[in-house]
Amino acid sequence: MSWVTRDAPRADELSSCIQCGLCLPSCPTFRLTGLETASPRGRLTAMSAVAAGRPVDSRFEEIMGACLQCRACEVVCPSFVPFGRAMEGARAEIAAQTSGVDRRLRRLVTARLLRSRMAVRLGTLAASIAQSSRLDRLAPGRIRGTVAGLRSLKGRPRSIVGRTRAAQGEKRGVAALLAGCVMDAWFGDVHTATVELLAAAGWEVVSPRGQTCCGALAAHDGWADDTRKMASVNMEAFRGMDLVVVNSAGCGAHMKEYDHWVDGGEELATRVADANEVVAEAIADGRLPRLSADGDRVAVQDPCHLRHVQRITDQPRAVLAAAGLTVVEIDPDGRCCGAAGIYSLLEPDMSRRLGSSKAEQVQATGALLVASANPGCEMQLRTYLSELGHTARVAHPVELYWEALQRAEGRAAVR
Amino acid sequence: MQPSPELELELRHRLGDEQVASDPLDLYVFGKDAGLVRGEPGLVVFPRNTDEVATIMRLAGRHGVPVVPRGSGTGLAGGAVTTGPHVLLVTTRMNRIGLVDVENRCVWVQPGVINLDLSIHTTPFGLHYAPDPSSQSVCTIGGNVANNSGGPHCLAEGTTVNHVLAMEIVTPDGDILQVGGPAPDPIGLDVRGLMVGSEGTLGIVTDVLVNLLPNPPASRTILLAFSEVEHAAATVSGIIANGLIPAALEMMDQPMTIAVERFANAGFPTEAAAVLIAEVTGHPSAVDAEAELVRRLGASHRATLIRVASDEAERKRIWLGRKSAFGAIAQMNPDYYLHDTVVPRTRLVEAIEQTYAISERHGIPMLNVFHAGDGNLHPLMSFDASIPGVMERVDAAGKDLIEACVAIGGSLSGEHGIGMEKRDYMHLVFDEMDLDAQARIREAFDPGRRLNPGKIVPQGSRCFDFGRPPPVGAWV
Ligand SMILES: Cc1cc2nc3c(=O)[nH]c(=O)nc-3n(C[C@H](O)[C@H](O)[C@H](O)COP(=O)(O)OP(=O)(O)OC[C@H]3O[C@@H](n4cnc5c(N)ncnc54)[C@H](O)[C@@H]3O)c2cc1C
Ligand code: SF4
Ligand code: SF4
Repeated sequence: MSWVTRDAPRADELSSCIQCGLCLPSCPTFRLTGLETASPRGRLTAMSAVAAGRPVDSRFEEIMGACLQCRACEVVCPSFVPFGRAMEGARAEIAAQTSGVDRRLRRLVTARLLRSRMAVRLGTLAASIAQSSRLDRLAPGRIRGTVAGLRSLKGRPRSIVGRTRAAQGEKRGVAALLAGCVMDAWFGDVHTATVELLAAAGWEVVSPRGQTCCGALAAHDGWADDTRKMASVNMEAFRGMDLVVVNSAGCGAHMKEYDHWVDGGEELATRVADANEVVAEAIADGRLPRLSADGDRVAVQDPCHLRHVQRITDQPRAVLAAAGLTVVEIDPDGRCCGAAGIYSLLEPDMSRRLGSSKAEQVQATGALLVASANPGCEMQLRTYLSELGHTARVAHPVELYWEALQRAEGRAAVR
Repeated sequence: MQPSPELELELRHRLGDEQVASDPLDLYVFGKDAGLVRGEPGLVVFPRNTDEVATIMRLAGRHGVPVVPRGSGTGLAGGAVTTGPHVLLVTTRMNRIGLVDVENRCVWVQPGVINLDLSIHTTPFGLHYAPDPSSQSVCTIGGNVANNSGGPHCLAEGTTVNHVLAMEIVTPDGDILQVGGPAPDPIGLDVRGLMVGSEGTLGIVTDVLVNLLPNPPASRTILLAFSEVEHAAATVSGIIANGLIPAALEMMDQPMTIAVERFANAGFPTEAAAVLIAEVTGHPSAVDAEAELVRRLGASHRATLIRVASDEAERKRIWLGRKSAFGAIAQMNPDYYLHDTVVPRTRLVEAIEQTYAISERHGIPMLNVFHAGDGNLHPLMSFDASIPGVMERVDAAGKDLIEACVAIGGSLSGEHGIGMEKRDYMHLVFDEMDLDAQARIREAFDPGRRLNPGKIVPQGSRCFDFGRPPPVGAWV
């Protein structure tokens, strides 16, 4: 029955793969299973099989569903196969061609609830009550890991939407901060750090009303029309901003690729920047200080959508070094931690294997601080580190720099 | 013969459901390696150890279904592609590396171990596994053994056959044998040597004792560029004539260099007609002298650029570029065909000119990479198979190419194997008697044709062959 949507993997995307296999060893799921069907090349071949007339059946759904969309395969592909785009297309086809309660539930969560600030706030309130009454330990199997990875939540977090913060010193322009769906409700401290640092670096910071969830999770799960809607809303909300700053790697990666979904996406991409990029730049040109070393070690984890999609690795390290921390590496390949959006809920076994081995690597570094620039990775690390009984703190690089800066300023004030 | 439902059930029962795949989509996905031919297996199995391999051989034998081994599927000649609905035996789950014997510099590895993973594993001991095919980050030791694979660094060190000391094999009947031993030159018939390059037609390799080499204390990687291909070829001859055998001596022509540079950003000069990469290894004092010799020879042959890699990062980038050559050409066209021929080094320029002439005649762009040091040429044709008539031209050009190489004293396949693709050209390099001898060997091992049938020997020849690359010129 082949493809039915406009988002389907395109013939030119599929034929750009020459099946050399050079991507196989970078693929976490191939590494763990040894299966061609769990490799980038195998997944592309399966897509080609459908393009040639095979049905989108349950086996196709399984093969595509096991992909983390981590995109490690894209970095090593000498033929520049746009794997992520093709996989989003395959997911869109599956979403269009299959039905069932679980599908409807997935759409409800990724494409509807995350767009609704009210829904996220209600969920947050419930989770915070559960945390404070320790009821969270009774969470059902699948979501227990996710719940365990949460920061301790405020019942009624203060949103940054609609707030502004004036630039300090000479003004460089207006930077809009993406509030995000869960970032706004669960990671308020990261937002505070980002806003304060942007302001200190000379940006007037706003978080415009009218913005919505970036749509990454909906795109990864195949809800193409919803993705387009969210992208259009944000295109409008961020119109005219000099810079659109994103402090969640997955959201930034998706917004840098809005051109897959809406007209004008390329232009927006030129204005989107990860918070690490902006802060590292400000440090490099002296707008933010380099703090003296305090000897603490920090293990740096590269979120896949920062490293493989945005190709950003130096900046978080520069930010952490400027915070006076000694940066230690976790693994040279930057293999996925297994969080991968809602993957940890959908493919718990694979996610667990990747999460545990990442936690073991972190533990082996001996560092008591771990930096991660993506909310999903942060929660995954926290979950599996706590399983190991390792008490390392996990935080955003920009947040760690902001804390160090405040400490340094506090010391200076006392003196 | 199609695997019967009983065979599948028995395999599932003995190995577990996780170790067997039979969904039509799985069979489709496992229907190819990195070459062009497709052929869907009837069943795919993923054994985890030697006993499971033996079980598979016995059960498949009892049901009369042939078995085809497969590693990572990076073979370029269809060696791991089934010619019928056979059982495809995938070794990727047999990926254990044994204890490294540091004193004797060797280690037992299972066949599914990835070539580069082995060298990474032995780095702490200051050792490495020498054969380094460009696909080394993904191809398996089992596949390397079956194809006697080589790589840029095999010029001085030799190919796989020079680095395998012993192996355990499972015979077509499901018996487990050990061949070879720790001695480099065992007494008696060298079955081990026979197995290397046999492309999975004589037995399934289930454990390999490989030789490890000490990492060189120092190395220099030199990048040279030329405005004429002839100048590059003359430099190659000059280097060898001066008695220098660099660890690697590789060449790329301009179209190849352009494609590679786009991916690797290794600083290859894209305006040059040919780029040469030479690497010398050894004692710190010796490598500087050798690098200087290479530099002088390049200069005397009018090199337009001579650059010695300043650090390990630059060296890695150069090799990443060279090793992504095959992949990078897909930036031009969706399909490629990689030829693999060996010509006497002295006739390199002639061979290159022939490829350009053939390319022109058939209107098929060709890019060239070669292991220049030993005359192993890899002309890559780049084309779009969906355009009507193109495949015929590709075929015709390929035939011309092979005939041209054979005519100037070359031979087929330096390293990628014969598989299905070149099977029908075998008579160009072997006469009846050669082919017959090979067929007898195969028959002695596998009278029932249970292993990888339909590979290596020309269709219609009396028996079958085994496909060790002919000795002429290959990896001196
Ligand atoms: C980008 C690229 C670059 C390459 N560069 C080089 C190069 O520089 N030099 C070179 O020599 N080759 C090169 N090749 C070819 C290929 O990588 C090698 O032939 C490699 O050794 C194949 O290994 P594999 O694990 O992928 O084997 P497969 O392709 O899976 O199988 C190859 C053959 O080995 C047999 N086989 C596999 N495992 C076993 C076993 N356990 N027992 C018995 N038989 C077995 C199969 O039946 C088949 O005939 C390249 C290929 C690609 C795609
Ligand atoms: S590296 Fe690229 S071209 Fe090669 S198999 Fe993977 S996706 Fe295809
Ligand atoms: S995106 Fe990640 S999991 Fe998916 S095929 Fe690529 S490397 Fe594998």
